[in-house]
Amino acid sequence: MSDSSISDKSGLPSKRNERIYALKFAAVISFVCCMLLTGASVGLKGYQLENMELDRQKNILEAAGIIHQEDNPSKIQIRQIYREKIEEVYVNQDGSTVADKTKAEESPEPENRLPFSEDLPKSENLLPLYLYKEYADAQSGLKFVKAYIIPVESRGLWGKIYGYLAFENDGVTIAGFTVYSHSETPGLGGEIEKAWFQKNFVGKKIVDSANDFVSISIAKGQASTLPEDERQNYVDGISGATLTGKYLTQGLKKNLEQYEAVSVRFRQGKQLE
Amino acid sequence: MNSEQKNDNASSVLNALDLWKVFAKGIWKENPVAYQVLGICSALAVTVQMKTAIVMGIALSLVTGASSLIISLLRKKIPPTIRIIVELAVIASLVIVTDQILKAFLFDISKQLSVFVGLIITNCIVLGRAESFALANPPVPSLLDGLGNGAGYALVLMIVAFVRELLGSGKISGFSVVPQWLFDAGYSNMGLMVLAPGAFFVIGFLVWIKNSIQGVSHEEKI
Repeated sequence: MSDSSISDKSGLPSKRNERIYALKFAAVISFVCCMLLTGASVGLKGYQLENMELDRQKNILEAAGIIHQEDNPSKIQIRQIYREKIEEVYVNQDGSTVADKTKAEESPEPENRLPFSEDLPKSENLLPLYLYKEYADAQSGLKFVKAYIIPVESRGLWGKIYGYLAFENDGVTIAGFTVYSHSETPGLGGEIEKAWFQKNFVGKKIVDSANDFVSISIAKGQASTLPEDERQNYVDGISGATLTGKYLTQGLKKNLEQYEAVSVRFRQGKQLE
Repeated sequence: MNSEQKNDNASSVLNALDLWKVFAKGIWKENPVAYQVLGICSALAVTVQMKTAIVMGIALSLVTGASSLIISLLRKKIPPTIRIIVELAVIASLVIVTDQILKAFLFDISKQLSVFVGLIITNCIVLGRAESFALANPPVPSLLDGLGNGAGYALVLMIVAFVRELLGSGKISGFSVVPQWLFDAGYSNMGLMVLAPGAFFVIGFLVWIKNSIQGVSHEEKI
């Protein structure tokens, strides 16, 4: 009904004219929408990147167990805690830190620092690593590495899963796991971002009872149904998300293998400076 | 009821009362969720907490209002052959802009809303208002119609979220309200309310209550 009223008003154009008009109209609408979207995307990019960076830092702190989801820390708190306690370093394939890349940018002004990027070192065979440092005692100002955090990048069912896995300084025990970006189905695979799932990682080990590296896996169902000696290497699975669990298991293994050299150093008690 | 619809369509009589009727119709009498049963998918998904429900309600109201306004402004220009495509292009652009704004200024909430902001594009309420109202009415009533329907949707979402959050996690808008002694006495949160089926029950009850009030029943109208 509304169709007829519209074509009546446009003065009964011929079929041909009508089609040309429709094409022209579509082109104009597309152009306007394009400009609108580009404008919004470019104009808001700064804020979004800042938020994403902050979210990353928050996730690193959460993985290390420094802050908790329910604390709801403010932006300023997160930035401050992050700057105080986390050190961003690159490590070589053998697990030793690359000195010149980290020490050069001790300048307090973040703008003057060389930007630390998780993507940069891939080309140079370096691995990004986060160290959680705590004062050994308040007077001396000496710091020791309490935990270390590795970035996790894994295949998921629908897209990549990005997160952080933190280890105690024994190089064996998982201190925490967080996910900050994924595209899994909400309610199924999407549960990987929930606290109940991530809490299961805390205290699990990446080595078996003979102290050999085995990685950490997501069980099908409850981890408690597994044989006793395997339980420490499995976390509870998510029902209805078998594939997400499978891919994340593979992804974690791949990431952990890359960082095994770092973990070995910690197991041998060689503290990273 | 029919006479009222004619009033809406006759653009010459546009006094404040008519405009108010156009706005209020979407909130109560022809509420998009409780009466037209549209937008159920997102109503299930984002109503576990009040906070996400409110943001989703505001986002949808703004998108519906703005898209109705724009489509109504263009209504004499839009070629009927590509009507739906044009409407969708307008709606999709608005939704993406909304999503970008949320990501820039309300990052945590936008993470919780995850895909559902993007899914406003496919929300039947938005296209429904564009098709059934904005294409045949002048801009101001269309804007109000869109906002009214958005507000109706937001209202239902907030009621559902209130009930689900209260019964499911014992909180109202993030604050615990169920006292500890009640838990000690054996009370426990209803796990069902946190899951999607809980929302079905609450929406079902809402529709039932609404329809049992005289004069607004679905059946009576037919």
